[in-house]
Amino acid sequence: MNGSGATGPFAEQSLWVRAEADVAAAMRLVRQLAKSAGFNTTETSYLATVATELAANLWIHADGGVVHVRIDAALPGIEIATSDSGPGIADVTLALQDGYSTAGGLGCGLPGVQRLMDGLEIDSRAGNGTRIRTWKVNRRAVR
Amino acid sequence: MPSNRLAPIRTLLSRDRETVAEEWASDVLRAWERNYPNMISQDETRHQMGRLLAEIATLFADHDGDTPPKIPADSPLPGLAGEISASRAKLGFRPTDTAHFVIALKNVLTRHLVRMVEGSQLDLVVCLAAVDDVLDRLALMTFDAYVEARERVIAQQSLSLVELSSPVVRLWDQVILLPLVGIIDTVRARQFTERLLEAISRYEALVTIIDVTGVPVFDTGVAKHIMKAIEAAQLLGTRIVMTGLSPEGAQTLTKLNVGFGEVTSRASLRAGVAEALRMIGRRIVAIGG
Repeated sequence: MNGSGATGPFAEQSLWVRAEADVAAAMRLVRQLAKSAGFNTTETSYLATVATELAANLWIHADGGVVHVRIDAALPGIEIATSDSGPGIADVTLALQDGYSTAGGLGCGLPGVQRLMDGLEIDSRAGNGTRIRTWKVNRRAVR
Repeated sequence: MPSNRLAPIRTLLSRDRETVAEEWASDVLRAWERNYPNMISQDETRHQMGRLLAEIATLFADHDGDTPPKIPADSPLPGLAGEISASRAKLGFRPTDTAHFVIALKNVLTRHLVRMVEGSQLDLVVCLAAVDDVLDRLALMTFDAYVEARERVIAQQSLSLVELSSPVVRLWDQVILLPLVGIIDTVRARQFTERLLEAISRYEALVTIIDVTGVPVFDTGVAKHIMKAIEAAQLLGTRIVMTGLSPEGAQTLTKLNVGFGEVTSRASLRAGVAEALRMIGRRIVAIGG
C-alpha cells in the first residue's frame, strides 16, 4: 500500500492495481477509509463493492491502473477515482447500460457503481485511457 | 612482472583462517543470538561459515594479478551463500540480519589487513578493494537468495490458504455443504467449483448448500463466479440452497441488479440446513418427541 498513511478528515490514499490480488487490496483500503469516515455497515459494503468493481476493471480491461481514495470533508463523504491508460471505453452510454459487457462479465459493474454511489463521472475515449471519479455522501455527517 | 599485491589476503585466508573464522563466527552468532535467541544451531552455522571461508580462500589462491578475482560460473560460492541466506529467510530473519554475516566477514578481513599491510598504502587500498569487490558480490547473492526463499514461502502460504479455505462437507446422505470464506478470486473460484462438482458426483448430492457467511464483499465478479458454479452444479442434478448472505450483501446485489434467479436462499445456515433436509424428506426432531 503506498500513498499517505493519514486517516484524518483529509485522508487520501492511492494504490496501484496490477494483479488480481491488488483488487482485494483496493477493496480493503476503501473499506477501512469508509469505516473511519463514519459510513454505516451497508454503505461500507456498497463502497467496498464499488472499489472491487472499479479495481477489477483496471485489472481486466486496462492492464492495470491507479485507484485514488479521498475522504472529502467538504462533501462530506468519500471519493474514489481511478485512472488507466488502457484501451478506453468506446461508448460510455452503452457501458452504463445493464447487461452490456465486452469481456464476458455480467455487464452490471459500471451501472451498479452508478446505483451504489451518489455521483459518477467517466472520462474516456477509445484508445485514450479512462478516468473515473465517483463519490458518496455520508448522510449522517450532513448537518 | 608478476604482482603480489593481493598476497596478504592469501596469507590471511590460509595461515590465519582459524582466527578469522573464529572472529567472524563469534561476531555473527552474537548478533543472531541477540535477535533470534535459540533459533540457530551454532555448530551448523560455524560449519557453513567454514565452508564459505574455504571457498573464498580458494578463489584468492587460484588468482593472479592485482584486480579483484571474478567469481567463476562453476564456483560453489553462490550456492553456499544462497544456502545460508535461504535457511535464515525460512526462519524469518530480517534481510539486514541475513546480510550481516557477509558484512561481518568484510569487517574482520579489513581489520586484519589494515594491521598486516603497514608498509604501503597503495597495497592496502588494492587489498581492501579486492575484499570489497568479492564480498559485495556475495552480499548481493545472499540478498537474491533471501528474496527467492521468501517468495517460495509466500507461494507456499497462498497455496495452503487455497487448500484450507474451501472444503466441501458431507452434511447428510445426499446433502453437501460448501462454506465459502474470504476473498473469491479467479484461482479460488476455479478450485472450489472443481471440488464442489467432484463432491456432488461422489456423494450423489441432491441438495447443495452454499454458505457465503464468510465472503466479505459481493461484487459482479464474485457473483459471476458463484453463478457459474451453481449452473454447473445444477447440471449435475443437485438443488442449490444459498445461505448466509448478509443484509448489506443482499442490498448490494440488488443495487448491482444481480439476481440468483431460481436459487433457494435462506438468511442463516441453520434455516438452510432445515430447508435442505426438507428437500430430501427428512427433518430434525427431539428424541422421544
